Amino acid sequence: MSAGLSLAHEPVTRIPHGKLLMWIFLASELMFFSGFFGAFIVLRNTNYDVFGQGSAHLSWPLALLNTFILIASSLTMALSIYHLERNNRGLFRLFLGLTICGGFGFLIVKWFEYSAKFSDGLFPGQQHHTIFYSFYFLMTGFHALHVMAGMIPMGFMWMRSFSEKGYPFPRKVETLGLYWHFVDLMWIFIFPALYLMIPYHAAIPHH
Amino acid sequence: MSTDHTNVVPSYMKVFYTLSVLTVLTVVAAKALEFPHTWGMIGDILHVTIGVVIAIIKVMCVMYIFMHLKFDNPLIRIAVFVPVFLFSVMVFALNFLETWHYTY
Repeated sequence: MSAGLSLAHEPVTRIPHGKLLMWIFLASELMFFSGFFGAFIVLRNTNYDVFGQGSAHLSWPLALLNTFILIASSLTMALSIYHLERNNRGLFRLFLGLTICGGFGFLIVKWFEYSAKFSDGLFPGQQHHTIFYSFYFLMTGFHALHVMAGMIPMGFMWMRSFSEKGYPFPRKVETLGLYWHFVDLMWIFIFPALYLMIPYHAAIPHH
Repeated sequence: MSTDHTNVVPSYMKVFYTLSVLTVLTVVAAKALEFPHTWGMIGDILHVTIGVVIAIIKVMCVMYIFMHLKFDNPLIRIAVFVPVFLFSVMVFALNFLETWHYTY
């Protein structure tokens, strides 16, 4: 490589390499979740009763709470980047800390939701509700894993922000922000698909 | 990033309020159409259409403002919006075709 060639940005698009790689990674993630959604739709429309009864058994208010938590954490993530770019270290630390709290909040709500399902004897791979709950645990479980994976580097950045120099890499925070917003985007699709769209053909038992 | 000299905080707040309102709207629409026997298959299609359309609007808001596509290179914008469009088409097409096929 020529020593005079700048490698900080891709020469045609002028997009930082880290950011471009994150977009490529997110594209692969989109394909990963597309497989789930495609299979979910096809199986939903061939197993109305199983999906309808399963969906009716989920707690949409808890999922709604989680939706608001993720939306708020997306906002605080964007604000943390904004303040780091302007060297407002205190506000950066505050908003990144709030984003991490949002991630923890999401996982705590998810814990309560899973606990209720387990105490009702609902697991993936059982005879009853097999297909729906396999999808439910796979889709929400993978999504929760993504939340956890995002919180690890976020926690590292937050800890480093307490050092004398603060956290000096706004581009890295911005790249991580893309990932965090993507996690929010996937939940935007998972929430109505699993919790709200009960197929009309389904025979839902009325209590 | 090119937001360095721009005050984007009002835009962030607008997106946050929009997302919150649309989330409530998703739930209200889903609950309003939850009485299936009144609406039949049209209800199911409406149900899914409204849910997916609202989700797509929310996704666009997040990507355009929070993910800074508004300020980024247009190439990235094209590279991102085309797969999202195709994903949306896939969701609609699969749902309508499957619903139609198994109803009639």
